[in-house]
Amino acid sequence: MSPEVVVLGATLVALTLYALLGGADFGAGIWEFNTALHVSPRERALLRRAIGPVWEANHVWLIFVLVALFTAFPLAFAAVCRALWLPLLLGLLGIVFRGAAFAFRSVPSPDEPRPFHWETLFALASTAAPFFLGASAWAIASGRLDVDRSGGHGGDPLLGWLNPMSIFGAFFAVATCAYLAAVYLARDARREEGVELAELWRRRALVAGAWMGLLSAAGLALVATAAPVLWEGFRGRAAPVVLVSGLGGLSSLGFLLARRETAAVVGAATAVGGVVLGWGVAQYPAIVPPSLTVEGTKAPEAVLRPLAIGMAAGAALLVPSLGFLFYLFKGKRPAA
Amino acid sequence: MNAAALLPPGDAALFAARLQMAFTLGFHVVLACLGVGLPVLLLVAEGRFLRTRDEGWRTLARRWSKAFGVLFAVGAVSGTVLSFEIGILWPRFVAVFGPVIGFPFTLEAFAFFLEAIFLGLYLYGWDRLTPQAHWWCGVPVAAAGLASAWFVVTANAWMNAPAGFRLDGDALADADPVAAMRNPAAGAQTTHMILAAYVVTGFLVASVYAAARLRGEERPYHRRARALGLAMGCLSAPAQILAGDFAARVVARTQPVKFAAMEGQFQTEARAPLRLGGIPDEERGETRFALEIPGALSWLAHRDADVPVRGLDSVPAAERPPIAIVHLAFQSMIASGVVLLALSAWAGWTWLRRRRIPESRAFARALLVAGPLSILATEAGWIVTEVGRQPWIVQGVMRTADAAAGSPRAGWILAATLAVYAVIGVGSFLALRRLARRPLPA
Repeated sequence: MSPEVVVLGATLVALTLYALLGGADFGAGIWEFNTALHVSPRERALLRRAIGPVWEANHVWLIFVLVALFTAFPLAFAAVCRALWLPLLLGLLGIVFRGAAFAFRSVPSPDEPRPFHWETLFALASTAAPFFLGASAWAIASGRLDVDRSGGHGGDPLLGWLNPMSIFGAFFAVATCAYLAAVYLARDARREEGVELAELWRRRALVAGAWMGLLSAAGLALVATAAPVLWEGFRGRAAPVVLVSGLGGLSSLGFLLARRETAAVVGAATAVGGVVLGWGVAQYPAIVPPSLTVEGTKAPEAVLRPLAIGMAAGAALLVPSLGFLFYLFKGKRPAA
Repeated sequence: MNAAALLPPGDAALFAARLQMAFTLGFHVVLACLGVGLPVLLLVAEGRFLRTRDEGWRTLARRWSKAFGVLFAVGAVSGTVLSFEIGILWPRFVAVFGPVIGFPFTLEAFAFFLEAIFLGLYLYGWDRLTPQAHWWCGVPVAAAGLASAWFVVTANAWMNAPAGFRLDGDALADADPVAAMRNPAAGAQTTHMILAAYVVTGFLVASVYAAARLRGEERPYHRRARALGLAMGCLSAPAQILAGDFAARVVARTQPVKFAAMEGQFQTEARAPLRLGGIPDEERGETRFALEIPGALSWLAHRDADVPVRGLDSVPAAERPPIAIVHLAFQSMIASGVVLLALSAWAGWTWLRRRRIPESRAFARALLVAGPLSILATEAGWIVTEVGRQPWIVQGVMRTADAAAGSPRAGWILAATLAVYAVIGVGSFLALRRLARRPLPA
């Protein structure tokens, strides 16, 4: 396999994991936003235990995606930065405030045990980040960004990214994160907290899952009408991925009904992972369709080869470490 | 000061982008220093606990780990800002040089990953892991922090002494990322920065507990904390002076114009004098009011007083950096370094004679200043590195102006950034203060 395909594949996997892990962390904040901050202390404690140990690591996937694109496909990265600077900066604003607010609110002061402003900021920022990152991703997928082969951007510098798909994508991303978070938290609550909280999150997961089903159908219809090239990819090469994703989503609803939350987590992750992977597979070999492809933007061979080797070596260190982290905080039964 | 050198007419957008980069980097570097240094202090404190079973050491490590958690979270987001900015502010730099410079950044991403993973284990694993296993989870945090610093500064060193590629018109040819990482500035610059991280962490921690001493809070907890910080600062400060001398000689060799600006050396001359203080006057082409030590600059740069030192006159005015800023920043860094060295000598002398650290109020007052001073030195050093390279983003290869996005909205983005960082800065300070005020176990 050529090194650019290895690097692109690794980047796509990293993006998928960012959606599955980072997305769920955003989702936890989105639920605080959804419930207008009417969150009980027990819910909050569950949330802190659930995302506290892992969120820093979950966040790094994004950095990885950025530097991998930057190194391996510099023209595509420059084009994305030029065309999407505004939604990317707004998403970044969400990331910054979310990360900072999560850290600050975990240090409450004695006279203000619930630091209201940091909690509000956390909820708002957790919603803003996936909103704008989702808009950016769908703007790329739409194939309507006016970028040329040398990485320049000819569209409106401020609003060139706005189109029906990017607007839909913003809401789709927020819903996806909320759905993932609800399913994951239902599982965590079942294992750690007892029935009441588990049932609350299970109900939320079911509602969010039903919404996701509708939104996914609408999204496919939108792609079919607004992005014919991507649609061809979905119907052709990526069809099996789309099918598996759909089955995963349906199964997650079934497992939630049966109160088998751990299986529901697998189903939900399959559904969401399938969307991201399916997108990548469907638009390959384009990176920023239609004009920027792997072949047209890739770094020299002399860079890609050590990069692929470096990534393999890094993964050899990363995978067991990450496995241990998740085993300790998510797999191992907590001491009673 | 020559304002025209700072702000060429019509280039307000470029200036705003540069200020944006300078400000966000300057903010991040303090957190990055603590990210490299604090895990080492945590390991020492927890290691003392494992050896002595004295709960006091464990209390220290636990409380510091909470503060480190906050600092790491803020450092992670301010670092994320940088990874976005590099593309959004300097798209042409990325488009051309991304492949050469991106390799160390990718390796850094892995190091950061390991740091984040083991920090999660360390912060939340106090009661889930055996004490030994917990201590070992801190080791990759310290190692990965070190590795991160090394990778990132290697990339910056490449901008100062580019290597490992050829330009074929506008396109990159013969890119060799490993040769790029082994650029001539990498060794000196990474050593200088990593030591700076230990100097900053050490003196900043010592500074915090010197303030406690001056307020009259002086329990064994505070003394130990101060001693640990002081030990780290005092051990790394002398090494830093040597590393700084090494770094300056590398700059003299690889970036003679930057070196001339640092030293306020306008004319190329043999037996060039070392200038202490002074104000470079670009119109008259000389550095005024400086105390000059004849021949010393030639000797410092080349270890031979008779070797000529290249002056700013060796390049056209358009290829010179803003001289006054670079000279002033360099002098501030040196002065701060000398003060920290003197403090280290004071502490070392007391240690040799009495086997304890100085306890006097005078020393505590000096320490109180040492923390901020170490940050000043680091910031000044980065100003020298970055402003001294201007007008180049890649020394001699690509001009900063040619790399910029040139967005007319750069000024607005800068204003928003300052507001956002003000919130984060205040939030971090308040969170750390709340942590510090939590009562100690009796």
